[in-house]
Amino acid sequence: MSIETKAALLGLAAGLAVLGGTFGLSPLLQLATAAAAKEQSTNIASAATSPTLEGEARRGHSLFDHNCAHCHGDDARGDEGPSLYDLNKTDARIARIVREGIKGEMPKFGAKLNDADIQALIAYLRTLNS
Amino acid sequence: MSNVLWAKMHGGTTHFPIALVMASALFDLAGFLLPDNPGKTRRASFQAAGFYTIVLGALGAFGAVASGLVMSQGQLWGRGSLARHHAFLWPAFGLLIGLAVWRLVVRDRASSLGFKIYLAGSMLTAILMAAAGYWGGELLLNR
Repeated sequence: MSIETKAALLGLAAGLAVLGGTFGLSPLLQLATAAAAKEQSTNIASAATSPTLEGEARRGHSLFDHNCAHCHGDDARGDEGPSLYDLNKTDARIARIVREGIKGEMPKFGAKLNDADIQALIAYLRTLNS
Repeated sequence: MSNVLWAKMHGGTTHFPIALVMASALFDLAGFLLPDNPGKTRRASFQAAGFYTIVLGALGAFGAVASGLVMSQGQLWGRGSLARHHAFLWPAFGLLIGLAVWRLVVRDRASSLGFKIYLAGSMLTAILMAAAGYWGGELLLNR
């Protein structure tokens, strides 16, 4: 067997091994991050003197972490984007902003989040009271 | 560690493998197509550059994938732009690691046919990485 054939087999094995490892370890990572998110949501809820997040608000918090925290800050008190505490907007208005974005200021998430996701996100945002 | 920090780490680390894989494919292509100089150093220099850039790109890919997985809370597929990002990313990641291992083992002992196949693979990987990077950008900038 030539060195190239051996290297090709080794390369194939390495490529499959890293993909297998990544896909195999991912469920463990999901468990670990879910536990961390649960702890974080409890902390945020405590900080906002509101009860522990439940149901839709909990799912909304996870969606927030994944989609919004990058700009609005981990604690939703603002970073590149504004603070989302004490929002003085209707649910429909918030949903439209999330879905369609704000030109030049905020990306649109309509292709990424469905209506149920946006409602969960709004449920979480409604827990953010000073 | 905060999700924002992981997102920033992913944004920082992910550009290294994208750029290095593209550079590697271009260096190898240049070494393959351009005529050698009288001192016989031009092709060897391009191939050495192609070798080191793909090895560094493969090493960098681990950091980019790890930070991306933590940031997305272990999501391997997702929906919308994230699904499209992953559709290009996972084949690119597997190919990149495979090609880097092949190159590490073979070094400068590749036959003409073997190197042509490798070169086609590295260009395909560069295209897949660029597409994965494009859809990753769309996740943030889908205005």
